[in-house]
Amino acid sequence: MKQKSIVKWLGSLAAAASLFAAPVAQAEEDIVIGGSIPMTGVFAFAGIGIHAGITDYVKMINDTGGIKGRKIKYVPEDTAYKVDASVAAFKKITGQNKVNLYYGDSTAFAKTINPELERMGSIIMAGASFATEINDPKKYPNQFLVGPDYTEMIGILMRHIAKEKPGAKVAFVYSDTEFGRDPIDEGEALAKRLGLNVTGKIMTPPGSVDVSTEIVKLRRAAPDYTIFHGYILAPIPEFISQARKMGMTSQFMGTFWSMDNSMVMKMGEAAEGFMGVMPFRYYYESDAKAPMLEKIRKMRPEYQSNAYMQGFLTAMLFTEAAKRTLDAGKTLDGKNLKASLNTIKNFDTGGVVGVPITIRGNSIPVGRIYRFDSKQQKMLPASDWIHLD
Amino acid sequence: MDWLYLLEISLAGIGSGGLYALTGLSFVMIYKATKVVNLAIGEMLMLGAYLMFGMASNLGWPVWMAIVAAIIGSGLGGAIVERLAIRPMLGESPISVFMVTVGLSSVMIGLVELIWTADQQRLPEFMPSDPVMLGEAFIPPKLFYGFLVAAALILIALAVFRFWRGGVALRATASDQAAAYSVGINVPRVFSLAWIAAAMIAAIAGIVVGSIGGLSSSMGVFGLSVLVVVIVGGLDSVLGALVAGLGIGLLEALAGGYLGGEYKLLATFSTLILVLMVRPYGLFGTHEIERL
Repeated sequence: MKQKSIVKWLGSLAAAASLFAAPVAQAEEDIVIGGSIPMTGVFAFAGIGIHAGITDYVKMINDTGGIKGRKIKYVPEDTAYKVDASVAAFKKITGQNKVNLYYGDSTAFAKTINPELERMGSIIMAGASFATEINDPKKYPNQFLVGPDYTEMIGILMRHIAKEKPGAKVAFVYSDTEFGRDPIDEGEALAKRLGLNVTGKIMTPPGSVDVSTEIVKLRRAAPDYTIFHGYILAPIPEFISQARKMGMTSQFMGTFWSMDNSMVMKMGEAAEGFMGVMPFRYYYESDAKAPMLEKIRKMRPEYQSNAYMQGFLTAMLFTEAAKRTLDAGKTLDGKNLKASLNTIKNFDTGGVVGVPITIRGNSIPVGRIYRFDSKQQKMLPASDWIHLD
Repeated sequence: MDWLYLLEISLAGIGSGGLYALTGLSFVMIYKATKVVNLAIGEMLMLGAYLMFGMASNLGWPVWMAIVAAIIGSGLGGAIVERLAIRPMLGESPISVFMVTVGLSSVMIGLVELIWTADQQRLPEFMPSDPVMLGEAFIPPKLFYGFLVAAALILIALAVFRFWRGGVALRATASDQAAAYSVGINVPRVFSLAWIAAAMIAAIAGIVVGSIGGLSSSMGVFGLSVLVVVIVGGLDSVLGALVAGLGIGLLEALAGGYLGGEYKLLATFSTLILVLMVRPYGLFGTHEIERL
C-alpha cells in the first residue's frame, strides 16, 4: 500500500515535471537572436531599418521550416542608442532566453559587453558598429562586423581614387569623436602607399553648428577628393555647398552611415555627384541578378534603407553560422558559431552584396562606390565591387 | 604670414559670433527682467527652428510665411511657458526656478522628438547663397546675412531698453521689483513680455542656426556655448552679450584655424575660467548679481 502511494506520488511528480519540461525543451529548440536595437533616439533612423531587416529574414527562414527543424526567435529591445540601456537590454534578454546570437547597437556597447560575451562563451555578436578596433579576432573572439571596418571603407575609397586619378590630392574631414577619428591615421598611411597626397586633415568639434573656419581650411588644402567620415548628415551639406560656391571642384565622398539614399536626398542641391562606399546593394537596384532583393521588394514595396540591408545580411550570416554548426553536429556555443562563421567563403547572399562574400578576420572587406544622380534621385553604381586582400 | 587666411578665418569667426550674440540677447532679456537663469535657451532656439521646418516643409507654406509664423508661434510658446511654469515659481529660490528650466529643456526635446522624430533634418534654403566677397576674402553667405540680422536685432533691443516705456519698465523691474510695483508698473506683464520677446529672438536665432547646421533634437547644445558667452559678457548686459559673442566667435575661429578643431572648446572654456577669476560678474555685468 505504502509502495503503491509512493509510485502514485512519483507518477504525479513526473507528470508535473513533464508539464514544466515541455516548454523548456521547446525553448531549447529555438535558436534565439537577441537585439539591443535603437528604435528611438538619435539612431532610430538606422534602428528601425535594422529591426525590419532582421525581422524579415527571420520570417523568411521560419516560413521555410527554420534551421534543421528549429525555429528562429528574434527578441529585440529598444535602447534609444544609450549604452546603459543597451547593457540592460542584453541582461534582460539573455536572462529570459537561451540566446545564441546577438545584435548590438554601437561601438561603445560592443566594447563594454565584450568581457561578458567572453565569460558567457555562448553567444556571437554583430551589430551596427564598423569600428576598426573590433576587427581583431584575438581581442574580440565572439564578435564580427557585417561589412568592412571603417579603415577598410577608406581603403576601398582610396583604391577607387588611385585608379581614377593617380597621385590625386585627398583631404579628410572628420568629427572629433571615436567614430570620426577611427580610420584617419591608417587612412593617411594607406594613401601614401597608394601614391596619393593627403593635403588636409580637418577635424570638426562634435555638435558644432558653424563649420566656416573648417571650410576655409579645406579650400587651402585644395583637394581633388574630400572624404567625410564620422557624420550622418550635418555638416556635410553645408561643407559641400559652401565649397562649391568658393569654386572648389573637389569630389565629395562619404562612408556607410552617410550613404543612405533618403539621407543623401536630404542634402538638397549639395547631393549632386556625392559619392561614397557601400558594402550592400541599394533597395531599388533591379538591373542586377539579385533574387533576395526581389523578395525584399515583394515583402516591402516601399524603399528600405541601407541599415535594413545590414540587418537583413546580419540575420542571414547569423543563421548560416548556426546552420553550419548544426550540420557539423556541434553545439551552438560562441566558439563553434564563430568557427562556422569563419568557414563562410565565396558565399552567395542572393545579391544583397553584389559579389560572393568571404569573412576574413572579423570583417567582410568588400564594397562598391556609388554616386548620387539628382535626375533619378538615386545613388547609382560608379565602380565595380572592390575586394580588399 | 598668410593675411588672407587670417582675414577669412576672422570674418567667419565674427559671423558665427553674431549668432552667439543673438542667442545671448535672448538669454539676457529673460535674466534682466526676471532674474531667471534660463537653461532651456538652446531648446527654445530649437523649437523655433522646428516650427519653421514644420510649416515650410511639412505643411508646404511659403518660406517667409513659415518664418513669421514660427516667430509668432515661439512668442506664444514663451508666453505659455512663463504663465504655466515660471510665474508660479515667483519668490521661490533661484535654484528651484533654474531646475524648472532644466526640466523645460527636456520637455521641449521630447516634444520635438514626438512630432518630428530624432532624425536629422534640413531647413529649406531661403538665404541668398551667392558668395559674399570682401576684396579677396570669402565670407560664408549664411553667416553674413545671419550676422546682419543679429546686429539689427541687437541694436533694436538696445534702443528699446533705453527709449521705449516698456523697455524702461523692464529695466525698472530688473533693478527693484517692489519699487517697480509701487510706481504702478505691472510686473507680471513685464515678465510675460520678456519671455515673449526672448522666445521670438531665440526663434530667429534658431532659424539662422538651423539653416547653417541643420536640425536635430540635440541642436540645443548650441545653448551651452551661449551660456559661456553670457557669463563672460555679464548675465544682465546686452552690450556684454554682443561683445562676448563676437569675441568668443573670433577666438574659436582662430583656435580652430591655427591649432585645430579640437582646440575650439578648450579656448572657449579657458577664457571663461580666466574671466571668472578676474571679473566674476562678467565683463559688463552688474556687480550685485546673485550667484547660483
